[in-house]
Amino acid sequence: MTQAFLIVLRLMALALLGYFAYRMWLGTRSWTTRAVAFVFTGALAWQFIAGTW
Amino acid sequence: MRGFKTLLWLEYRRSRVWAAALLGSLAFWFWGLNQVTVSDFTERAGIRVAIVSVAAAVGLVVLCFMIGRIRGETRRGQYQMLLLTPPSGYVHILARVLFALGTGIVYYVILGGLLWWVAARAGIHPDAGSVLQLLLAGPFYGIGAVVLPFLSWTVLLMVFSSAFRLAGPSWVPGIVMVAGTPFLFRWISDGIVRLSYSLTAWSMFGGFTRLIDRAEMEFETEVVITSQGALIPQEPLWIMLALSILMLEIAGRIWQEVEG
Repeated sequence: MTQAFLIVLRLMALALLGYFAYRMWLGTRSWTTRAVAFVFTGALAWQFIAGTW
Repeated sequence: MRGFKTLLWLEYRRSRVWAAALLGSLAFWFWGLNQVTVSDFTERAGIRVAIVSVAAAVGLVVLCFMIGRIRGETRRGQYQMLLLTPPSGYVHILARVLFALGTGIVYYVILGGLLWWVAARAGIHPDAGSVLQLLLAGPFYGIGAVVLPFLSWTVLLMVFSSAFRLAGPSWVPGIVMVAGTPFLFRWISDGIVRLSYSLTAWSMFGGFTRLIDRAEMEFETEVVITSQGALIPQEPLWIMLALSILMLEIAGRIWQEVEG
């Protein structure tokens, strides 16, 4: 039960992160800004998918 | 060069109240150190060192707030100052960082002086080399390894989130960067710990190890302490300096791309 709850929580966090990434990608035309956004989004996504807390 | 001087002057005009408040707070910390009247020698020294540590942390927070006030300069989504000044984004970033760094150097060198005073009150009178290390080497190591990375991160955060201000709320990139930083930093700090002591370590504060001998205190610390003093690894300083320069370069580039 707890495991399933955590999986759902991670999926919801990933969905929110995906929405944020989408907003950030379209929110600028600067490629450096997009690269920075990619680095921090990637770090968070890695934590949500495979990270240990 | 003239543009840089103008920007530095602007930075002084904009942040002088913050800088004066920060440097003025040293009088408060000195007063606080004087209020410690615990009779036990080690306890008294410990409390005083803790107060200086709190002062160092507060100084870092104030400097970050000082350097991060970028949004206050915008008017209708545009940088009012940028429209009037031709210098590149890199020069703006450099002027901002140098002013905050200068204020930080004065603050932390005086804090080093307060630590010297604490040691003198505890009956520790080290050699001139240790005093110089306390007043200069220690503060500059801390500034390079801790303060400058925090300042650079704050500048990058503000420039990065401000880059989205015309397209929508800048809290989205702000949240992503703030939330993602601890995880990125965990990987960086793992790397720093792994690389530490690969190069020759710096032996510092030799005169102060007498304090430890006298009190027979046992520390659990990452830093190796010998009779010659604390062996400070070089690697954290160089890695954090490189990261700071990288963050400032990225911030300047974003400024150029967004405002240029």
